[in-house]
Order: sequence, then C-alpha cells, then structure tokens
Amino acid sequence: MSLWVDQYRPRSLDELHYHKELTERLRSLAASGDFPHMLFYGPSGAGKKTRIGCTLKQLFGPGVEKLKIDQRVFLSPSKRKLEINVVQSNYHIEITPSEAGNYDRVVIQEILKEIAQTQQVDLSAKQRFKVVVLNEADSLTRDAQAALRRTMEKYMSNMRIILCANSTSRLIAPIKSRCLLMRVAAPNETEMHEVLKYVAKSVRIDLPPEAAHKIVEDSNGNMRKAILVLEALKMQSPDLTGPLSIAKPDWETYCHKVADLIVQEQSPARVMEVRAKFYELLSHCIPPTVILKTVAERITERVDESLKAEVMHWAAFYEVRMRMGNKKIFHLEAWVVKVMSLYKQFFYEMDISSFD
Amino acid sequence: MNSSTQQRKRKASKPPTVKFGTAPPGDYPAKRFDPFTAFADVKAPGPSTAPASTSTSRNASKPKSRAKGPAPKARPKGKGKEHHRLWVDIYEPTTEAELAVHVKKVEDIRRWLLEAFEGGPSKKLVKYRRVLALTGPAGAGKTATLKILAKDLDFEILEWRSSMAENYSSSSAFGGADIMEGGSWGEDMPAYESMFTKFRIFLQRAISCQNVFGPASSIPRSSESSKAKPSRHIILLEDLPNVLHAQTQAQFHEVLQSLVASPPSSPPVPVILIVSDAGLRGEAGDEGMMMGGGQKWGRSRGGRASNSADGKTGGWGGESDGVVDIRTVLPKAMLTGPFVTQISFNPVAPTLMQRALQSILTRHVKASGTALTISQTRDLVSAVVDSSSGDIRSAVMSLQFACAKRPTDGPTKGKKAKSADKDAAMTLLGVMAKREQSLALFHLLGKVLYNKRKGDPPSISLTARDKQKEQELDASLPNQPPLPFYFKDHERRPSRVNVDTLYADSPIDSSLFSLYVHQNYPQFCNELEEIESVGEWLSWVDSSGGEAWYQSTPHQFYVLTLGTLHSLPSPVERRSQNIGKPEWFDKWKKEKDAWDGVRDVQNWLQLGWDKASSSRIRQDQDDVAGVELSRHWNRTEIALELGGILKAYDNNAAFSQTDSVSFRPPPHSHKLFSRMAFVRDQKGHGAAGGTRNHTNEEDLAVEPLEGDEEAYDVAAAGAFDHAKVEAQSGGWLLNDEIEEF
Repeated sequence: MSLWVDQYRPRSLDELHYHKELTERLRSLAASGDFPHMLFYGPSGAGKKTRIGCTLKQLFGPGVEKLKIDQRVFLSPSKRKLEINVVQSNYHIEITPSEAGNYDRVVIQEILKEIAQTQQVDLSAKQRFKVVVLNEADSLTRDAQAALRRTMEKYMSNMRIILCANSTSRLIAPIKSRCLLMRVAAPNETEMHEVLKYVAKSVRIDLPPEAAHKIVEDSNGNMRKAILVLEALKMQSPDLTGPLSIAKPDWETYCHKVADLIVQEQSPARVMEVRAKFYELLSHCIPPTVILKTVAERITERVDESLKAEVMHWAAFYEVRMRMGNKKIFHLEAWVVKVMSLYKQFFYEMDISSFD
Repeated sequence: MNSSTQQRKRKASKPPTVKFGTAPPGDYPAKRFDPFTAFADVKAPGPSTAPASTSTSRNASKPKSRAKGPAPKARPKGKGKEHHRLWVDIYEPTTEAELAVHVKKVEDIRRWLLEAFEGGPSKKLVKYRRVLALTGPAGAGKTATLKILAKDLDFEILEWRSSMAENYSSSSAFGGADIMEGGSWGEDMPAYESMFTKFRIFLQRAISCQNVFGPASSIPRSSESSKAKPSRHIILLEDLPNVLHAQTQAQFHEVLQSLVASPPSSPPVPVILIVSDAGLRGEAGDEGMMMGGGQKWGRSRGGRASNSADGKTGGWGGESDGVVDIRTVLPKAMLTGPFVTQISFNPVAPTLMQRALQSILTRHVKASGTALTISQTRDLVSAVVDSSSGDIRSAVMSLQFACAKRPTDGPTKGKKAKSADKDAAMTLLGVMAKREQSLALFHLLGKVLYNKRKGDPPSISLTARDKQKEQELDASLPNQPPLPFYFKDHERRPSRVNVDTLYADSPIDSSLFSLYVHQNYPQFCNELEEIESVGEWLSWVDSSGGEAWYQSTPHQFYVLTLGTLHSLPSPVERRSQNIGKPEWFDKWKKEKDAWDGVRDVQNWLQLGWDKASSSRIRQDQDDVAGVELSRHWNRTEIALELGGILKAYDNNAAFSQTDSVSFRPPPHSHKLFSRMAFVRDQKGHGAAGGTRNHTNEEDLAVEPLEGDEEAYDVAAAGAFDHAKVEAQSGGWLLNDEIEEF
C-alpha cells in the first residue's frame, strides 16, 4: 500500500480520466513506430508524469514498470561528490538532474552518454531506442540545457528524451524546437470530481458531494493535491461528513502571517523580524520563489488598489534577481523593504493630501 | 664519524649566527649529548628551560634556534657582542613582570598548568587538564609566556620539532662517537621511519618516561627540593606535523585522541599546543561559496565565532589553500570536549607594548651608551608600536633596526640635526615596518558600518592623539564640489574610509563580506529608506555577473562597500550595536538537514510502505527484473504538498497501530520540513541577539568540564564558569575595538 495518489494512479493510457484527445494522440504516437523527443509541460498536479508513465507503458509494455533504484555518484569538476537517485527499467531511465544543483550538466552528460552508447540488447523489445525521462527540466541550468541540445541530435538513433517541466519559459529555444510539445492542462472541476469519485469508489468510501466540492475548490486544479487532501481528511474524520476544514499547509499559513507582519509595521526592527521568518521558511525547504509569490499575493489582498501593481512589479523584479544571484535572502529582503517603503510612502502621501 | 653528525655538532657548539646563545666555547660538561641521536630518530625535546646551571650547555647543543624559540638566558657580557645578536633574544622577557601579556591571560595559563599538575582544589581536574591550546596571532607572546611559567612553576618543556634532515640518519647517527651508550632501544629501530611514526614515539616516550637527562638525575643538584618533588614536564607542540595533509591530520588527531582517552600518567604530562593564527587576505574567488564561505571564515584571522557550518574541517583541509589553525590541528569533537582547553591570545595591547619597548630601549641605552634622550625614544617607540599591529616580535625587530641605522658618531649636532635624525628614523620605520596585515574581520565591518565621514564629532572614548590623527585625516580629504540640486539627495561628506586599502586588507572575500553586511546593517539604519537602499545594493551585487562564480564581477567588493557607505546615515547613531556573524550558515545547514528529511520521505514514498515489499526491493536491487515502484516524487512537491498528509499520519495513532505489522510509518525526519510553527519572539527582534547568545554558548562549550565535574562543587564551578565566560566575551569586544572604528 502506499499513498492513494500513487495507488490509484492510472497505469495505462486507457485508464486516464481526462484530456481524451491528448491520450489519443499519445496512443497513435506510440503506435507509429517512431517517436520524437517530447516535452510535457503544464501546471503541477495536472498529470504530466502520469501521462509519461502511461506512454512508456504503451511503448514498451508492462516491462517498464519493473524498476530499479540506483544511487549514482558523479564527480563535479571540483571533485565534489554528487549523489543522484536514478530510477530505471530495462527500457528507460528517469533522473532529476536538478538534484545536483549547479552541477547538473555533469549528470546530464554522463547519463546521456552512457545510455546513448549502449544499444538495446533485449531483442524482444518493442522499440530500438531507450527513453530518458528528465524531471524538472525547467530548473536545468543554461549549461546543462546547452549540453542537452547537442546530445539530443547526436544520439537520436538509440535514445529519446522526454522532458517534464512546469513551464517552457525557462527552457532555451533550441530545446523547445527539438521536442514535440505536449501541454497537459490542469483538469477542470468536473474532471476533478470524476477522479475523486473514482478514487473514493476504489477505496470504498462514501464521498459526500459537499466534501468533494470543497476539496476541488481548495485544490485549485491540482489533482495530486486534491487526492492528498482527500486522504488526509479521511484520516481526520472517517465519514467525511459535517463541517470540514481543509487545513492549509503550515508553510502557507506561515507566509500569510509574514505578509501581515509586513503590512502592520514598517521599521528596521520589523525588517529583522521578517528576515528571521524568511530564514525559517527557507530552512524548511520552501523554494524562495514560492515564498515570494505567496507573500506577495497575500500582500496584494491587504493593500490599497493603487499599490497592488507596484507590489507585484517589484516581486517580479526581485524574482529575476533571485534567479541570477546566489543568496536568496538578500532579494527576498530587498523586496520586503521595497514594499514596506512603498506602503509607508503611500500613507504619508495620504496624510498630506487629507490636510489639503 | 659520520660527517653530517659532526658537522651538526660543530655547528651547534660554535654558534655561527647571531641568533645563537652565548655559550662560551669549551665550557661543556662531560656528559654531553645530542638531542637528536640520544632519542634515536626521535627528534629530542630540547629541555630548553632547565635550571640555569645546565641551560647553557643544552641550549648550545640544540641544532637550531628560532628567533622566538627558547633563547639563552645568559645576559650579554660585552658591548661588542650585542651588535651581533637580535634584541629579540637579548631582551627576551625573563620574568612575568617583563612579559607584555595581559596579567589575566598569564594567570589563566598558570592556573591551568597548576590544575594539570596538581588537580586544582579537588585534585580531580588532572583528568581533564590534558591538552591546552594556545592560539593567537604571531608575536603575541604565547611561547614567551610558557617559558616564563616553566621557570616559575619549575617544570621542563619537552618540545617536538619536525625536521626534514633527520629522516634517514637513523643508522648513521648511531655510529656517532659522542652518543650516549645507553641507547639500547634505538638499535632495534628500523632504518627508516616516517616522520609521523617518530612523532608518535616521541609522544609516547615523553609521557611515559622520565627524562634521564633531567635535572634530577643527570646533574647532582645541591638542592634537595628538586629530588623531593618529582620533576614535572610538559610536552610542547609548536612545530606540528603537516596537518594540512589529510592523512597526517587524521593520524595526528588519532594520536591526540588516544592520548586524551588514556588515563593521565603519573606525574601528569600535559600537552600544550601553540598555534599561531595565520592572517588570510581575502581576495580569493568565490568558488564553493555555499560551502567555502563558512570554511574560509572558519580559518580566517581571528576566527572566534566558530562556525557551525564548519563541521568537517578535515575534508577541507586538503582541498582549500590550507591554513593551519586550531580547527585543523584539533578535531572539532576534541576542541569542544572536556579534555582540551583553549586560551587565545590577543595581539599585544599598545600600552603593554609601549612599556615593554621602552624598557628595552632604556636597557639598550644604558648598555650601549648611545645618547638618546627620553623624548626621542618615546617618539620612536610610539611610532614602532603604531606600525606593529600588536606583534611584539616584529616590533622589537623594527626597533632594533631603527636604532641601528642611527648614526652613532656624535650625537651633538644641534637641535635641528636631531630632529632631522628623528625624521629619518621615522621614514625608515614607515618603509620597513608597514607589515602587510589583514584587518580583523570585525574591524573591517566596523569601518564600513559606522560610516565615518569628514567632520564627524570625535567619539568620547578617543584619546587626544587619536583625535589629532582623525583631524589630520580629515584635512587630507579633499572637499567635493557640491552636487547640482537634482542630485541633492546624494550629497555626502567625504568618507574617511579608504575602500582601496579596505579591499586589500579584507580578511574575507566579497561574497562572505556581503553576508556579514547583510546580517548587521539594519541596526545601523534609522530610516526605512536607508535600509531600502542598502538592501537594494546587496541584492544588486549578488545578482550582478553571471550564473557561475567565475562570471561574477570583480567589483563586487567596491560596489557593495561604496553602496553601503552611501546608503547608511551619517553619522551613524551609536546605540551599542552588536555585530554578529551571519545566521545564513546556520540556516543553510538547517535547510540541508531538512532536505535530508525530504529525501527520506522520498525514499519512503518510492519504496512503498509495506515492510515486506520494501525489504524485497532491497534484495532485488541486483535483480535485473526489478519491481514495481511508485513513481518518482519531486522533492519540491514533497516539501510543499505533503505536509498535511504527513501530519495526518502522525496524528492518527490508531491507524499506525492497527497496521503496524505491515505499515512502515513515514520517517520522523519529515518534521524538519513539514512542521512550522509561527512564533513571534519579542525579545530577540531578530538576529543580533540570537547570534550573541550563540557565541556565548560556544564559549561555554570550550569549558564544559566544569559541568562534568559538578559533582565536586557545583556552586564554585558554576561561578568560575560564569566569570570565565564573562571575561572572555568582555575581552572579545574590547579587543576587537569595534567601538573605536
């Protein structure tokens, strides 16, 4: 047994619940005998990886589900050891290069070369090529992407690459142009209801419509989140009736409180306090961009209409800085101070004008 | 016999260099021995501070002597000789009063030594007073203090010297004619031993064996007292094995650890390590900023606030540029353990140094008969003190040099000539005594964060001389033409900070510097606008340049410093700001731990929860077929989305109980990332307070043995501990002189 999300995940193209046209297209692609490099993109929880898994099964048969986990060690140029988990079957290999941080290029090069240089030995295999699945492709560094671009052409004869990303905006154009782009949109509400019903039926629980509605509303198009919430709720109150309160994750409430801190007071001391909170969030593995986004959204709910655009503008501005720089906290803090100063100025001006 | 041995002998007996002792030739006692060969390959400890009756001969037979090493105690006899010797040796302090070290420091060491020999009031401390580490910058008087205490408390110093020349001399040395007969154990020695083996043997013997050549046995001493009291000795490790070599370091640590683990011998032989802090000048690249920042700082000069990111000094010792400091010499576990005491010396304080130099000069004038008036010497001495930056050895050297250049013919040439003379000496000093030194880190930060500008009111604590200096500096700063009205916001008085020298003398690289500035700047700001501006500069500097470290701009330091200076208020309001070390490293470490938690959960998800299936997976690792696994979970997804359900599992005790046979609960480490409680601490208001507490904790950690020994006297020990911590942290601030700059 495992999490419901994993347990009731569709295993083949036939089992997929929504995006029927996409499914059909994947089916015909897999049947065509040739297969392009592919890039699956879409919001998280839309079902990208599920579809990748199903496509692989369609391509190679049930053999792809026999997996091994390896821990591979790579050496960075400065001889630091990087450990990467590699999941592989006889037909494909799945890696998350971004686990190696800035040294993802090394990982990409090593793995791809290794795969590309070995021919498929299994004569009964349906396809001549092996597939490399690269997760979190949008967090690959430029270096790694450049390395990928060359390899994609060079080893086309016995390897296909499937990239999985949230958005294509951070991928360089040459990679996008070498792939067949597959957009996996988030499911709409009826589709989500359908999936929830399916899961509930599978685990043999009764899912009241109000609960389902609440879950769907809360999960905001994220199917994975919806099923996780369903399972958590089930554990809290087994019959899923009565007033259900879907608890937000700790970090989200935390971010909201930080936003409140910023709006309440604008002073050097408060800056230090907010900094401590940011450090806390960062040390709980919350990605800085997520922090920035969550806090900024919360702030825009709290401030005057005329300030909202400014707040978001600077959030965008410092997010770019954050990507370029190393020390995320600097940029988070710079943004907070900017917002505080804007907010303060706004009130100052309001005071002045009210005197006139 | 062997020519090299003979040569060495000759060299040793007739000191050819100015550094050597003034042993009158031919005055050797019959029982002469060579410290090398007497201990076979083990480089013998030079019993350097033995009682006066034997000191001359032994000192003379020592193969080499360093300027700071145990210099002969004998006073120079003639005026002629003096010119050939360094003042450092001639005027080496011989009594505690002459020592230019703070009385409290000397007292600390004395107490430690007494406790090591006698065990303190409860007689129990012997067990814990095993290793004393003396740290501090070069020329702070570490060795000198020990020598004087040796004389004072009457113990011998057995010193280890690493020497390259002795590697192969085992067999040949034993052929030497003038060797002790009784070297029976030496014959079984292999022909070659590694340096480290020798070191180990040296330590073993030094601890377990009484020195047969010690004063008690070799020389029939008249006094009964020395016989009555067993001769005490300590082991001095100043010339360490090459601890930057990872393997040697590991061995060295191992030896020390086993030494500490074994019960103290009787009489106890404490080990004293002297480690000089090497100054690091940071213009280094920013590679490995994530890791390296902490490490580099850990070893940089005056690295007091030991870094918690600095968990694995050993691994880095081999990789980075390698500076020997206390953290490479002693493993972290030992450093914080009960057996090691660390006493760190500060650079010699100007007043102490002034006094010491003055007395040397007076003695010199008396001895040599040079006519130097008191006022002349005072100027000279203060100039030397100014340029020495707390290094008394170099100060004495420059003093000697300055005096040597002085024309010795007729001193009476009129007032004018005299002052010209003085000026010459001063310029000379300026040329030669400008030691390339790195600024202490906190000094650097103080300079930037206090943002002193021309015309600032002098601070209350300044002496008249410093005030005058400030005024001179102000006079030398040109006034800038006023800015046009549309730039009026940027109008600032000229800064007293010279960014060029700051950059050249910075002990840390710009990336680490930015972290320090970031940690501390909000305290120095009054208005939000100032914070905004500094924050903007920090952000800009961090994000300028490319993605990789080698693309970062070389101007970071300048931009950051100038930007910070421009943004800070002027003058900065004094409200006892605490400069602290960045929290960043602690948080970063915490984040790493949390990621480990995420990884645990990732594995847990991937392997399924069945105990059976997960064990099957482990077995089938090598199986070609493999098993069905859950799909790969993204780590960010785990961190962001799994919090709720993990919490639900934790709360649902019933669930985990019923299925406990087959159910593998989520790893506990998930709490590292999934649990966040929002608490507002009113007391700390952020970082400075936290960091300060942290430092205190570390100070405590140096002295945990009191806690261990609480059995004997809780109250006394506690009081002592507190006094110690306070003394240390108090001294800490004073000596970094943050307020001064």
